Amino acid sequence: MRSDAARLRIKGGELAARPYSRLLGSGAMSGTFRAHVGFLFLCLTSLRGQGRYLDVQENEITPEGLLSLLNSELKRELPDDVVYRRPLRCLDMISVEGQFTFSADRPQLNCAAFFIGEPTDVISVEYNAVDIDCRGGDFVKVFDGWVMKGEKFPSSQDHQLPLFERYVDYCDSGSVRRTIHASQNVAMIFFRLHQPGSGFTITVRKLRNPFPCNIISQTPEGSFTMVIPQQHKNCSFSIIYPVEIQIGELSLGHINDFKRSLPGCAGSGDFVELLGGNGVDTSKMYPVADLCYSFNGPAQMKIGCDNTVVRMVSSGKFINRVTFQYRLLNRQELQKLKGNSVEDFCFIE
Amino acid sequence: MKPNLLLWAVAALATFLPRCGSRALAESRVPPPPPPPPPVLVRLGEEYLIRLDQPGPASNPGPAVNRALQLRLTQRLLARERRSDEPPISLDLTFHLLREVLEMARAEQLAQQASSNRKMMDIFGK
Repeated sequence: MRSDAARLRIKGGELAARPYSRLLGSGAMSGTFRAHVGFLFLCLTSLRGQGRYLDVQENEITPEGLLSLLNSELKRELPDDVVYRRPLRCLDMISVEGQFTFSADRPQLNCAAFFIGEPTDVISVEYNAVDIDCRGGDFVKVFDGWVMKGEKFPSSQDHQLPLFERYVDYCDSGSVRRTIHASQNVAMIFFRLHQPGSGFTITVRKLRNPFPCNIISQTPEGSFTMVIPQQHKNCSFSIIYPVEIQIGELSLGHINDFKRSLPGCAGSGDFVELLGGNGVDTSKMYPVADLCYSFNGPAQMKIGCDNTVVRMVSSGKFINRVTFQYRLLNRQELQKLKGNSVEDFCFIE
Repeated sequence: MKPNLLLWAVAALATFLPRCGSRALAESRVPPPPPPPPPVLVRLGEEYLIRLDQPGPASNPGPAVNRALQLRLTQRLLARERRSDEPPISLDLTFHLLREVLEMARAEQLAQQASSNRKMMDIFGK
């Protein structure tokens, strides 16, 4: 509920937010009364965070305009000319909100589009118009996560739903379930269309996620703070590049005196691990480092794998937080890692 | 003479009796005609076939058996699907290609953001 005064919708001209004194001094009694009421509504809608629905025509405050402030449902959707639209390709990656239409000019049997948002976004896909022949073998399926080469992100261990529930098939449930919300900032759609002329339209939205858990980074460089607020779950931040990771701060809620009867952090229910691998499934990646003590101050590591993951395991008893930065390794650094390493899988330093 | 003959007879019987006996035993052990083997669910790759290959009069299992078989087939497929951790649909894409499309999407996002900023500036900049 953001009060975005900067997003006033204005038709035909200037801002309507005149100073109060000027409103008082203008026009006849009815005009002044209208202005007072209008200003009162303006204050109320601004406090409610609905200033963006203010609709002013030619600097006049009309009864219809006032009433429209009370009925903000009318303006819940963006107007048609503001929605971003473009055709969907057989292999595509979408990181913007908008409406995307796929139309088959020939049989398209193996198509997929990836969706990705910011770490704090959750992807939502809505079917607007679908013209496919389900009985003829066509399908359109949305997957909650990414699937690549038989591996899925998030892994089965880190996702709430069983695998078969993460695929939502339009042919099975599209008439009932027209909007699908992913659980994280990535999702995918698979589709197969046999007949030229068939196609579909989807609307992609990004919803806000206050405690993002499983994330794929859009960029090879950046920083992030992952917080798990007393929840028993495991969260992964995946960077599909070889990077240097620098952990700035790690705060695990437990006192740093848990029993180290097992090697590594296995004795602790709350820890952070760095993983490296050449697939997207975190359960099939190699642990590079375990961190089970809180600390301040940078700890860095170069990981020359196709995929680098910071994974936090949380027991649910504490609030755990880790802050880190990452940057892309250049070719020279990669070569050096490869030369120094005796390991076969990825090159770690 | 008679005892010798008797002895020879006994010896001959003793020689042949085990085999006769075993044959007899084997024959007696042989069960009645074996019941037709039940229809088999055969898995060939991703397809399941029902094989009914028993000759003889009992070749038609009957509608109840067919229904039971179909139910078992469906349950097995569903159970296998649910148990299996392999994604039924996947895309074979290299990381290199994935990064290429990701960078294209990023460029599109920046262009769209720039266009949106320009529109906002047009509205508020006047």
